Amino acid sequence: MSTTKSLFVRRYVPGLVLLAIGAYFGFVVALAEFNNINLGFGLATGLQAAIAAIAAVAGTISFLIVDDVETSAKGPNILLVAGIICFLIGSYIGLFVAPPEQHMGEVQRIMYVHVPTAWNALLAMTVAFASAVVFLFKSDWKWDAVMEGSIEVGVVFAFLLCAQGSIWAKPTWNVWWDWDPRLTTTAVLLFAFLGILALRRFVEDPVKRGIWSSVATIIAYVDVPIVYFSVKWWNSLHQTQSSPGTVSKQFYLPLRANAIGILFLMTAFIMLRARISALRLKQELAPPPLVEAQLGEVV
Amino acid sequence: MTGNVTGGWNFVVAAYAVTAAVFVLYGVSLITRLRDARSRAAEER
Repeated sequence: MSTTKSLFVRRYVPGLVLLAIGAYFGFVVALAEFNNINLGFGLATGLQAAIAAIAAVAGTISFLIVDDVETSAKGPNILLVAGIICFLIGSYIGLFVAPPEQHMGEVQRIMYVHVPTAWNALLAMTVAFASAVVFLFKSDWKWDAVMEGSIEVGVVFAFLLCAQGSIWAKPTWNVWWDWDPRLTTTAVLLFAFLGILALRRFVEDPVKRGIWSSVATIIAYVDVPIVYFSVKWWNSLHQTQSSPGTVSKQFYLPLRANAIGILFLMTAFIMLRARISALRLKQELAPPPLVEAQLGEVV
Repeated sequence: MTGNVTGGWNFVVAAYAVTAAVFVLYGVSLITRLRDARSRAAEER
């Protein structure tokens, strides 16, 4: 095996194994159970969901830690393909196999894309927060690039989340938008992170840009737990979170398949976007080329 | 009024179409921007 190949395997295999465990307990076991095959090692549904979530998030973190933003895009490309496959499977089951829900009917199928988008939007912003903290402590430019990537991906996902939510709100609440605590705190989060992207665009000095946007990201992240707990803290139109024990497998199977698929896509998007930021940073941080007069002095 | 939602497939199709469109367009934009950034970096070298 060539050195490059061996380095690639060593770098990405642990993350791929963790993501595979996440996908296995996330939806392969549920898919098998759907066909009366038991692959769950006798574990309770809630425990399977917890293992899936921990393994998937650990896989994402592993990928982002070992990823060298200055190399080829082979790692993110693998995740892109895996994400598209999982998302297609989940959407097929959600649209054509899962039954309509008792009260919301067919409209409830929007949940299979809306909830995974919400989880991954908050996760992308958590990656931005962690990258901001690491950048401030270690001054490693890789984390500045990852922070910019995860902020942009978080903004795209939050925008998509609001669009899906509006489409779901119209047939169920009879309005496209309501200033309900969950929706309002999500809109605040979207515009706060959009503001940080704008700040990064206007500040030319990479050192000032990195520090200021890291501090702004840490402050804006305060809204993430508020978004999550808003439905519990305040009287909200938006429904509260369900637990795996209270949802039938016909409903959680497409939900988990899409959650894993969108997680793979989100990780791949962050890794690709971080490469774009890293290339720009490399140009900005490079020493200025010697002008002719200086060249003459050197010679 | 039963309190149950009937129909609504048009909303389901719209939500899935918006989701797929955002993923495809954002993915394509990232690949294009990365290619441009790489060629710009190669030119400057």
